[in-house]
Amino acid sequence: MDAQVLISFAQVLLVVIFGLVCLNLYLVFRLKEIDPFARWNPSSINGAMFMGFWIVGVIAIIWTTRVWWDEMVMVHSAVSEQGQRIDGMFWRTMAVSILVVLITNTLLFYYAWKYRSKPGRKAYYYPHNNKLELLWTVVPAIVLTLLIFDGVSAWHDIMGKHPEDSVEIEINGKQFEWTFRYPGADNEFGETHVKYINDGTTNSLGFNLKDRKGQDDLVTTELHLPVGRPVKFTIKSRDVLHSATLAHFRMKMDAVPGMATHFWITPTKTTAEMRAETGKEDFNYELSCQQICGSAHYNMRRIVVVETWEEYQNWLSQQTPFYTQYQQINGGNTADAAAAEPVNVALSPQP
Amino acid sequence: MADEKQITHGSSSFHDEMAEHAHAHHDDHHHGNFITQYIFSTDHKVIAKQFMFTGIVMAILGVSFSLIFRLQLAFPDTSFPFLETLLGKWAPGGHLDPSFYLALVTMHGTFMVFFVLTAGLSGTFSNFLIPLQVGARDMASGFINMLSYWFFFASCVVMIISLFISTGPASAGWTIYPPLSALPQAIPGSGLGMTLWLVSMALFIVSSLTGAINYITTVLNLRTEGMSMDRLPLTIWAFFLTAIIGVLSFPVLFSAALLLIFDRTLGTSFYLSDIFIGGELLHYQGGSPILFQHLFWFLGHPEVYIVLLPALGITSEVVSVHSRKPIFGYKAMIGSMIGITILSFIVWAHHMFVSGMNPFLGTIFMLFTLVIAVPSAIKAFNYIPTLWKGNIQFTPPMLFAIGLVSFFITGGITGIFLGNAALDIPLHDTYFVTAHFHLVMGSASAFGFFAGIYQWFPKMFGRMMNKRLGYIHFWFTFISLYLVFFPMHFMGMGGVARHYYTNTAFQFMEAFLDIQVFITIAAFIGGIAQFIFLWNFIYSIFWGKTAPANPWKANTLEWTTPLHPKHGNWPGDIPKVYRWPYDYSKPGIKEDYLPQHIPDDEVEYEEGYMPDTKIPEREEIPQRERDTEETE
Ligand code: HEM
Ligand SMILES: [Cu+2]
Ligand SMILES: [Cu+2]
Repeated sequence: MDAQVLISFAQVLLVVIFGLVCLNLYLVFRLKEIDPFARWNPSSINGAMFMGFWIVGVIAIIWTTRVWWDEMVMVHSAVSEQGQRIDGMFWRTMAVSILVVLITNTLLFYYAWKYRSKPGRKAYYYPHNNKLELLWTVVPAIVLTLLIFDGVSAWHDIMGKHPEDSVEIEINGKQFEWTFRYPGADNEFGETHVKYINDGTTNSLGFNLKDRKGQDDLVTTELHLPVGRPVKFTIKSRDVLHSATLAHFRMKMDAVPGMATHFWITPTKTTAEMRAETGKEDFNYELSCQQICGSAHYNMRRIVVVETWEEYQNWLSQQTPFYTQYQQINGGNTADAAAAEPVNVALSPQP
Repeated sequence: MADEKQITHGSSSFHDEMAEHAHAHHDDHHHGNFITQYIFSTDHKVIAKQFMFTGIVMAILGVSFSLIFRLQLAFPDTSFPFLETLLGKWAPGGHLDPSFYLALVTMHGTFMVFFVLTAGLSGTFSNFLIPLQVGARDMASGFINMLSYWFFFASCVVMIISLFISTGPASAGWTIYPPLSALPQAIPGSGLGMTLWLVSMALFIVSSLTGAINYITTVLNLRTEGMSMDRLPLTIWAFFLTAIIGVLSFPVLFSAALLLIFDRTLGTSFYLSDIFIGGELLHYQGGSPILFQHLFWFLGHPEVYIVLLPALGITSEVVSVHSRKPIFGYKAMIGSMIGITILSFIVWAHHMFVSGMNPFLGTIFMLFTLVIAVPSAIKAFNYIPTLWKGNIQFTPPMLFAIGLVSFFITGGITGIFLGNAALDIPLHDTYFVTAHFHLVMGSASAFGFFAGIYQWFPKMFGRMMNKRLGYIHFWFTFISLYLVFFPMHFMGMGGVARHYYTNTAFQFMEAFLDIQVFITIAAFIGGIAQFIFLWNFIYSIFWGKTAPANPWKANTLEWTTPLHPKHGNWPGDIPKVYRWPYDYSKPGIKEDYLPQHIPDDEVEYEEGYMPDTKIPEREEIPQRERDTEETE
């Protein structure tokens, strides 16, 4: 018999003995009509437990915040101008919340403990007080108004029109990957529509191959952004809802089939700077999907690279336009391209 | 309060109880046979118990789903062979299948929100308490009330059947957003599973409407003499307003579901447009997925208050009874509940800030949302002065009520982050939202349910539940719920997305795997602790100590009925009501409570108190008395 078996055997034995002892105690107490806990006062125990729970809880919260602080990328050190504004607001709201939760929970648990029933105590008949009632109507109303003031103006700016000099990029979602499109040299996107999609010929974004504006469009699987320049995203989906999320940049917007949505941000830190700052050589910004979209929803990941304007231009110039790739794959045969289109090509205007 | 000697309740009294019990049964048989008595009963008390038992069964299922997917979240790389035994092809090699993970999440949400916390909670306590506390012999229509239960039952059955079909149950989340929910090509659960979900929900809505109409009518028309609206216990106010919300909002879910059924079966395009999936272009043109979201949340937001208000009503009653004090700000409580009821209809789009709807709408809904936070805050704050200078009896219902208030505050406060559209951009669909609503809705309402059961168990079954097991159950549940849901705030602040099969696919989410493990352990402890409750509940139904007539010394009418009230509730006349229900520890009164049904001239005063002098009205306690009260 090896040690493992012996140990397991001993463990089982201990459990059995423990069980028997408990049963024995229970039967003895029951038969002799002894209540071993009769002297425990539930009022004091429960009251003290509430206070204890609260004190330990607050300490645990502080500890966890310290340990995980660096990982809470969503609420500090945003890397877009919009995000920094949101972060500021987050912590102002947090300050209010901590105050409220601390005061109210402390009073709740403290009163529960302090006014626990004792022999001879009589409760104080105190059914209402309009002044107090007014106090906690007006104060929350004012505080909320202030927070909202902040919120409305930030929301308005973030959702407002993007600056004229924005870089335009399209994010396309489908089950289960993201594809990006850059407008190319002419700075204009060619027409796309689901009715032109043909995965067999790699036209999975649905380019209208006759539209000349699309001929220099770049299609990529990595998202490159220039630092310090506003970037305007147009977000689309061809099947179900997705949600384009750039956590570090505080961007999130649903991709809705049949409708293009928009969001713009101004990145403030390059990937290289982040790597140096965090000391993580393999650090990458990531694009995720945060609207339930099917079985591989959790895995719709793309790497996002933020770089200087020169690096960005350089990267763009290295990409082959989609149209060229398409011709290489489909043998440059425009007949194929034509065949890829549905018969009645009624060009519907894009929104 | 009389101390219980649970362990030693002697064998002789035990036999007496049995004899009495048998006798009671004998009596009952004069009124009808087993089927009309217990199955197709029109007695609101029996229907309440039917809702309760069904709700508990659904809760066990719903919680089990979550425990299974918690395993996956904490140990994404570990194989659990028993899962394969249990789920077969949904867990090949002991690893949960990703689309079945989503199915479990969906079923967990659906079961808990609709079957447990809506029907289980309102169904049980509205049914049980409305006639008893307003002084009525039964609901306005016992028959419709019975139908309400059986529609609910059918709805549960259909939903449970959907668990066993080969394509699996609905998997698009409890909010079933199309196109995912409309297209079987998108996820297997959107095939037959989704059809069954919609059928089940249609039945559920019928049940909810028939129930609610009854509650409203009963409260409005069948109050006993003297029971004016401003003498109603807050439980009844809460149930009444909940029913109103339900009547006005559930039909909208019905139409949302109906249009989805049309899209799925008749090929209409209400919600769908320009879709290419599974290698083919679909014919849908001109619909909008966002329309569905508007319709869904028009119910969905009021729904969260449908879930919460009854729990708050129960808490108001319980906190007052066990503090031996009137509830603080009775009128403010009613006012804020009415405010919540109205406002809850105009905040729905705060769930849709980043759905692609017009951002201008976001601004409007942000304003309304923060307005609704005010009455919510008033309610939360009013519980605290109710405890102040009370004489707090730590009974199990009281513990759960205090726990509820804590959850309500801690979970509600994060609402002001989420209600701020700009802040919602990063936080939407992360664990921050999960933390928010599991604390404020899930945990708080579950505690309302527990508080209600511990409080009214003696009236339901004529027996007491074991107090000590109640304490143990409370502490395990309270602590484990906080341990499960509080850390989710941190995950949300790290950007960890909801509905993710695993968070190891992303660099910035990976670090939170430790917290996932922690949460799963806490969840299992909390889940297992519920067996303490189940044991206590079932044991006490049969063998609990016989309850005194009014075990908590409460003022409300239900305690004036016999120990085992028959259909009709009061053997003689229905009692009349002479005052509001919260005269606890009123100065000059001998006992520390003054039931609603005691006529003014039968009130017993303290020695030396001049009965001729007017009892201070609650509006007019002398200022002096308030100020000179010493601290302790
Ligand atoms: C203080 C007032 C409250 C405010 C301002 C508020 C605000 C919000 C907001 C904005 C969301 C959407 C978050 C998102 O998906 O990004 C949300 C989600 C939610 N809230 Fe609240 N909330 C409040 C109180 C409550 C209460 C009292 C309940 C329940 C009784 C509740 C239940 C929920 C639920 C269930 C969700 C999540 C729905 C889902 O996405 O699955 N909230 N809340
Ligand atoms: Cu997704
Ligand atoms: Cu809401």
